[in-house]
Amino acid sequence: MIPERLKASLKREFHQSLLAKVGLGLLILILFLALFAPILATHDPTTSRYWDDQGNSYPPLGITYDTEIAQEGERVEYTVEPTTEHLLGTNNVGEDIYSKFLYGARTSLLVGFFGTGLAVLMGVPFGLIAGYYGGRVDDSMMRVADIMLAFPSLVLAVALIGVLGAATIPIPDPIVMAGFAEDMPEYMILPGSVTIVVALVTWVWFARVARGEAMAIRSEEYVKAARSMGASNRRILVTHVLPNSLTPVIVLATIQVAAIILLESSLSYLGFSGTTLSWGYEIQQGQAYLSTQWWIATIPGIGIVLAVIGINLLGDWLRDSLDPNIEGEHGG
Amino acid sequence: MHDEILTIDNLSTKFFTENGTVRAVNDLSLRVGRGDVFGIVGESGSGKSVTARSVMDLVDSPGRITDGSIWYRNEEFTDRVREDHPNAVEDGAVDLLELPESTRHGLRGSAFSMIFQDPASSFNASLTVGEQIAEAVEVQRRAHANPRSTRARTSGSNYSLKNYALSTVFPSKRFVTRASRDRAIELLEMVGIPDPVQRADEYPHEYSGGMLQRAMIAQALAGEPDVLIADEPTTALDVTIQAQVLDLLAELQEETGMTILLITHNLGVVARMCDRVGVMYAGEIVERGTLEDVFDDPVHPYTQGLLGSIPDLEGREGRLHPIAGNVPSLFEHEMEHRCHFADRCPKAMEECLEHPPEFDARGSPHHAARCYLAETTYSEAKALPEGYFSEADDPAMEQTETAATDGGGE
Amino acid sequence: MTFGKFLVRRLLQGVFVIWGVITVMFALRAVSPGDPVNLILDQAAGEELRQQVREDLGLDQPMYIQYLDYLQGIVVGDFGFSYQSSRPVLPMVLERVPATLELAFAATIVALIISIPLGVVSATRRNEPADYGATIGSLVGISTPNFWLGLMLILILSVQLGLFPTGRRPVAFHDSIWIALTTFHLGPLITWFHHIILPAVALGTYFTALITRLTRSGMIDELGKPYVTATEAKGLPGVLIRYKHVLRNTMIPIITVLGLQLGTLIGGAVITEIVFSWPGLGDRFIAAVNNRDWPLLQGVVVFIAISFVLINICVDALYAKLNPKVAAQ
Repeated sequence: MIPERLKASLKREFHQSLLAKVGLGLLILILFLALFAPILATHDPTTSRYWDDQGNSYPPLGITYDTEIAQEGERVEYTVEPTTEHLLGTNNVGEDIYSKFLYGARTSLLVGFFGTGLAVLMGVPFGLIAGYYGGRVDDSMMRVADIMLAFPSLVLAVALIGVLGAATIPIPDPIVMAGFAEDMPEYMILPGSVTIVVALVTWVWFARVARGEAMAIRSEEYVKAARSMGASNRRILVTHVLPNSLTPVIVLATIQVAAIILLESSLSYLGFSGTTLSWGYEIQQGQAYLSTQWWIATIPGIGIVLAVIGINLLGDWLRDSLDPNIEGEHGG
Repeated sequence: MHDEILTIDNLSTKFFTENGTVRAVNDLSLRVGRGDVFGIVGESGSGKSVTARSVMDLVDSPGRITDGSIWYRNEEFTDRVREDHPNAVEDGAVDLLELPESTRHGLRGSAFSMIFQDPASSFNASLTVGEQIAEAVEVQRRAHANPRSTRARTSGSNYSLKNYALSTVFPSKRFVTRASRDRAIELLEMVGIPDPVQRADEYPHEYSGGMLQRAMIAQALAGEPDVLIADEPTTALDVTIQAQVLDLLAELQEETGMTILLITHNLGVVARMCDRVGVMYAGEIVERGTLEDVFDDPVHPYTQGLLGSIPDLEGREGRLHPIAGNVPSLFEHEMEHRCHFADRCPKAMEECLEHPPEFDARGSPHHAARCYLAETTYSEAKALPEGYFSEADDPAMEQTETAATDGGGE
Repeated sequence: MTFGKFLVRRLLQGVFVIWGVITVMFALRAVSPGDPVNLILDQAAGEELRQQVREDLGLDQPMYIQYLDYLQGIVVGDFGFSYQSSRPVLPMVLERVPATLELAFAATIVALIISIPLGVVSATRRNEPADYGATIGSLVGISTPNFWLGLMLILILSVQLGLFPTGRRPVAFHDSIWIALTTFHLGPLITWFHHIILPAVALGTYFTALITRLTRSGMIDELGKPYVTATEAKGLPGVLIRYKHVLRNTMIPIITVLGLQLGTLIGGAVITEIVFSWPGLGDRFIAAVNNRDWPLLQGVVVFIAISFVLINICVDALYAKLNPKVAAQ
């Protein structure tokens, strides 16, 4: 499916670019963590009250902190020691941060991939039809797209979730079902509203790119030839226009996965996600404890940054080697 | 002898690319007399543009001048430089390659200025033509301590980022002044642009190709340069416009007495404009002399081939004589120590396997050629067997087929 | 002349966009579940009172009448009353606009001041340490969520080092300027400045990183063009070549991209305000969504749309000014 020339170009660029290797490495790492979260996790991420004897959250390994407790009616200074039981400590309600980190990777990637997929399915046909037919069809379709673009996606997403409600879809976890990790939750939670909403606010970017490609390809000689030989418009769209627009769509999709992960984290930070197993939500949980238990908000953020850096690096690599013309990267 | 404004000795310019080192200009020497129109002619890739850019110090990375000297003779300039850079001065001339970059760059526009092949892409599309010419005027104005002195200067003007930032708010801090703008309009008028006051405020895309080339000439004249380097000045233009631009150059040269270094692949342009000619091949001057020497009595088979490949406008011969073979690879690791033309040369002999030095040729005292035929006559007995190079050479070079060179024809 | 025409066309388009946003918001309210009366009245309220409220709000009318009423109200500046606080929506929105604008402008200024020189240096010193630093820094910058960055800034610079306040806006910019001008008392202005630095950096980082990347790649493309050599040949000082010629041409495509990114700036402002308790439209907006306070939500969203459209028109005008080919058309 990928032409040899592109493969060679991808390979050459990959060998030359250290950043591309780092990006692929990061993405594989995050994918690995997300995929095998039930096996890698040490505790059920939804179980709380993992506290020390005095009811304090554990800090990550290597860190201690001082707090005050009431003892015989008096406040006394007291140092909380980390425990090997909880590698990255526990949060304010006593959930295991390491296990939540792994499950947060799942949520981010699920929303990232499903959301992007949905946006591609909505945007690409829309853009191809607008660009291929041109004229009035194009005008009216692109006017709609303009309005969509003309709006801050986060604001739109929050407003939409306000209407839809933060619905979630439980998906049975295959690893737990197969009996590899019995103590873990049986379902993984896909934040359904969030997935649909991020697709709704990003599909326009795919429509724009697909439209541009369709307009360019429409005037190519071989498409004119196919038309003159009586090929139907639908056939031309599917056999000629669609395959040719794939390269820029793939590059844009990669970058959009990163943008959607960021958007998802913002939505869950604001509390619109519907699941508590999300990096953004964990950051919000930790915000109030910034001055004492700073790691609660810090660790999930590192997860977001690493995942997004990895995907962005991959996107840069694809773009440098495939060289499509995409304006407006990182759709907002 | 002492009236050579520009003398290039053993200049080598190389490009250090990922695939190997390219010898764009190799051991090149030439002498340009004051007030001459000196033509450098050759195929694309023969190194003529790189030579010109080496003089201006405009060779872009990964290219670098690796060897040689470029002597510029201007009394005032020599006096200025003598104190700070005594090593650079010799016999009244200055070796530019011995000077620090800033001093060399100060010569841009005042000692040397340059016009380029494609005027449309050589102007900045988002500034008016007048503004861009006025900049060139202003640079010189600022470099001059004394505005009446109009000869070569030692240093360029300083302009800081702070001043630029201020200029976006305060018009008085702008680089270009009213006086420079007025001078730009005069220059436009001088090169024959109608309505110069109005045209100065237009953008490059509002000009035709020929008009824009005139504007570029005006820009190059802003600093009253000693040497105007014209790099393929007419290639991008229509034939009728070409003639007008050449006439303009000739006229201006006559008026100002400046020296022109004309770089072209078009022998017709050379014949029309030049007093002296150097023929370049594979980064070297293979033959040089007066126009008559080179055109009427060429020694080097390459020159002969080039001249043969001018289509005869009057149709006397009615056909082209293309030179067989391809331009040679300039990668250092692929160049052998032989005459680089030997593989395409109809008169290649055993001697030619040794790189030829420059021989004096018949004709005027300036006539010289890098070819054994200047000394000996061609003998069949010593000729290399046919197909010698296609076997000996790198396999990639085997596809040499008859290919018309772009030397001439336009 | 042509510029005026251009402006009128863009304004008409803007009105169209705002109308679209209003209509979408109205449609969302129409399909959203739940009876607004429940949001206003106590559970215990009697049916008679409910009916009364419904009539007052016009909710008993057919949809198209409600829509027309709503449109008419917006045209005359009447956005209705907040369900939650019963205050008129318009002042509730207007009193928050300055804080959001301050933040967005401050972030833009931070971004432009840092990113453009950084991009230029990065492009002109390719593959030197400065370039590597800028490249990696901007990669991290576009990959970091601004709310988390804000928290980290608070953690390190406020909580640990105590250099900056953790948030809030004790004084408005216009008030502090007024005080500075009338009483020559700079205290409030300094306080304002001290409080806005962290939010502005948190919000501006993404744009700093984005513009640095765009400037770098655009400059590299542009530096390879023939006019740059021609400009060097004139003897023009390097500063002018880089900034007046090359950067100017680099900015033309960048401005288009930035126009498309304005939405991200406004969305980012909403969330940054939440992190830093900055009293702008952001927390009104989130509160309106959480309380399903439709009139307030619509008011905020329409205002965001209006400011977005206005900024976009300014960007387009700048684009036309920089690019003579557009102005000529």
